[in-house]
Amino acid sequence: MNAGLLVVASLLSAPSGVAVQDVRKVDELGFVPPAPGSYVLQHILRAPEGPVLDVRGQPRRLSRFTTGKITLLSLIYTSCGDGSGCPLASHLLAQLRERADGNEKLRSRLRFVTLSFDPDNDTPEAMRVYADGYLSGRTGPPWNFLTTRSRRELVPVLNGFGQDVWMAVDGSSEKAGKLPHLLKAFLIDRRGWIREIYTTSFFQPLVVLNDMTTLLLEEQH
Amino acid sequence: MLRASISSMWLAAAWLASFTLIASPGATADETCNSPYIGNLIKGQEDYVYVWTLGIEGLGDGSDKLVTIDANPASKTYGKVIHKVSVGRRGEAHHMGLTDDRRALWAGGLDDSRIYVFDIAKNPAKPRLVKTITDLSAKTGYVGPHTFYALPGRVLVQGLSNSQDGGGVTGIAVYNNQGKFVAKYPMPTEGGGDGYGYDIAINPKKNVLLTSSFAGKQNYMTSLGKLVKDPEAMKHFGNTMVLWDLKAMKPTKIFSVPGAPLEIRWSLNSGDNWAVTATALTSKIWLIKQDAKGDWQAQAVADIGDASKIPLPVDISIRADGKGLWVNTFMDGKTHYFDLTNPEKPVQTFEKVTGKQVNMISQSWNGERVYISSSLLANWDKTGTDDEQFVRAFHWDGKELSPAFEVDFLKEKLGRAHHMKLGSKALKMAFDDVPGRPPLASR
Repeated sequence: MNAGLLVVASLLSAPSGVAVQDVRKVDELGFVPPAPGSYVLQHILRAPEGPVLDVRGQPRRLSRFTTGKITLLSLIYTSCGDGSGCPLASHLLAQLRERADGNEKLRSRLRFVTLSFDPDNDTPEAMRVYADGYLSGRTGPPWNFLTTRSRRELVPVLNGFGQDVWMAVDGSSEKAGKLPHLLKAFLIDRRGWIREIYTTSFFQPLVVLNDMTTLLLEEQH
Repeated sequence: MLRASISSMWLAAAWLASFTLIASPGATADETCNSPYIGNLIKGQEDYVYVWTLGIEGLGDGSDKLVTIDANPASKTYGKVIHKVSVGRRGEAHHMGLTDDRRALWAGGLDDSRIYVFDIAKNPAKPRLVKTITDLSAKTGYVGPHTFYALPGRVLVQGLSNSQDGGGVTGIAVYNNQGKFVAKYPMPTEGGGDGYGYDIAINPKKNVLLTSSFAGKQNYMTSLGKLVKDPEAMKHFGNTMVLWDLKAMKPTKIFSVPGAPLEIRWSLNSGDNWAVTATALTSKIWLIKQDAKGDWQAQAVADIGDASKIPLPVDISIRADGKGLWVNTFMDGKTHYFDLTNPEKPVQTFEKVTGKQVNMISQSWNGERVYISSSLLANWDKTGTDDEQFVRAFHWDGKELSPAFEVDFLKEKLGRAHHMKLGSKALKMAFDDVPGRPPLASR
C-alpha cells in the first residue's frame, strides 16, 4: 500500500472531525498540478441551451445559469445511491464552494449548478429538499438546483453536454430505479463555453480550483 | 467539524475511486489499451469484435469498412461476420478509438486523412457511419490520423505526418465528441525532440501523457521491400518518446528511444507508476517509470526475439493487472507472452506462430480471450500465399493459446483486417425512446 492509500484508509476509518488539511494532502498526492494561468483551457464546446425549472418551479432558460459567471455544473439524480456517482459530485461541489467562499477573488465570480437528469422523480420540490441539505446554514457563491419538465426537454440538454446515461438492456437498472452514468462535471466560462470536463478519474478539487483561477486570470487579461 | 469530516470522506472516496476505478458504471476500459476516461466497462463476455478493415481493389466492394464479428460463444452466430459498413473508398484504414461516452468509434485513414465516426450506441451489433471529418489537414497541417484517444468530451488525434513534406514531423489534434476541431499541439522538435508521433497513452493519476514516434507518409505509404533498401528513408523513423503535462498539454521530458517506439501501455495495477512500449526496428521492450525521486526515466528492459532478424514487433497488449504482456511480431508471425511481474526484467514465457503475418493483438479484460489480426499496412503486408488476412480468436489458459474461431477476410471478400475493438450489447442509451431525439451526427 502506498502513502496515498494509507491517507485514504485513515480518512475512511476516522471518527468525526477529520481536519480539512488532510483532504488537501489527498489532493496533492500523485502530481503537482501546473500553476493557475500557466496553461490554457480548451474551448471544448458551447454549453447547451434549453428550458429548465428552478426549485420554485419557475421556468428559466439554462443559459441564465451558464453565462455571466464562471460556472461549475454537475448532472445528477437525487435518488442516486452510488457513492462514487451523484452524492460524490454534490459533496465535491459543496467542498469547492466552501473553499471558494474563503477566496475573495473567486467568491463573487463563481456559480455552482446542479441539474437533475431524472425529471420523472426530481420535481422542483424534490430539488428544493435536496438543495436544503447542501445550502442550509452555509454561505458561498450562488448554487442553483435545477430540473426539467420532461424527458423530451431534458434529452437535448443531456446531448448538448455529452452526458451519457445508460440503462441495462435486461431492464435491471430501470427496475432498481438506477440511471447508470459516468460522473461528469463541467467548468463553463462566463461566455458559456465549456472549458473543462471532470470525471471520476480527474475530479481533484485543487485542480478544479486552479482551473477556475485560470479562467479568472484569463478574464483579467 | 462534522461537515469537514463528511467532505473529507467523500473526497477520500473520490480519490480512492480514481485509483480503484469503481465509478458507475465503469471508469476504465474493456481493453487495457483504452483511455481511462472511457466508461461502461465490458468486464464480462464481450459480444462483438469490431474490425477496421482496409479495402482491396477487386475484392468485394474494394472499400475500407468496419466489420462486426459476433464474439459471444452463447450466440448462434458466434465467430461469424454479422455486419459491415463500407465507407465507399480506400484511404489506408488503420486505427480506431472510442469516445469517452462509448457512443462512437472514431476510425482513421492514414492516406486520405479522413476520420469516420461510427455510432455504436444505438445498435451495437450494427454500427452506423454518422459523420466523416475531413478538415484535419486544413485545421492543423497534420495528416495520417493514427491514434484516437478519449478525453472527457473530446478525442485526441495523433497525426503521423504533415501535409507539407510528408515527413514525420507532426502533432496532436483535439476534436470534441461532436467532431468539431478544438486545438492542436505540435510534437516537440527541440531539446532532443524529433517531432514524430505515433501513439498516445494517459495516466490521469500522474497528470502525464506519453507519446511515441513512428514515420511520415513518405515512409508508411512506400512498400516495405523498397523502403528497407533505401538507407536515406530508413533514417526517417522516430527515435523518441515524449512525456507531457496532461493538464497544460506541454512537453516536459523527451526520452531517447531508438528504433520507432510504437504502442504504449500503462500498467493499470493500482499504485503502479510505469508504462511499456516496444520498438519496431530494434525489437526491444522499453520501460518508462518514475525513479525514487519521482523523475521519469526510460530504459530498455528486454529483447523481443532475435533483433538482428528484425522480427518487427508491431503491437502489444498488457494484462489488466499489469503482470503480463502480449507482443506480436509481424515478420515471423509470432505471438509472444512476457511475464511482467518485475517490469524491469520481463521474461518471455511463451511464444507461438499464430499466422504467416500478425499485427494487432487484443485481450478480454480477464485475459482469457485473445484476438489477433493480420494486416500491418497495405504496402507493408506480405505477398502471395503469405498474405493471409484474418481475425483469429484464441482461449488463453496461462499456458497455451487454443483456437476459438477464425474469420478469413479474403474468403469473406472483406479486405485486410487491422485494428480491433470490443463491443457489448448489455447497455443502451437511456431515454432512447424519447420522440425527436436527434441522431448522433447532428449533435
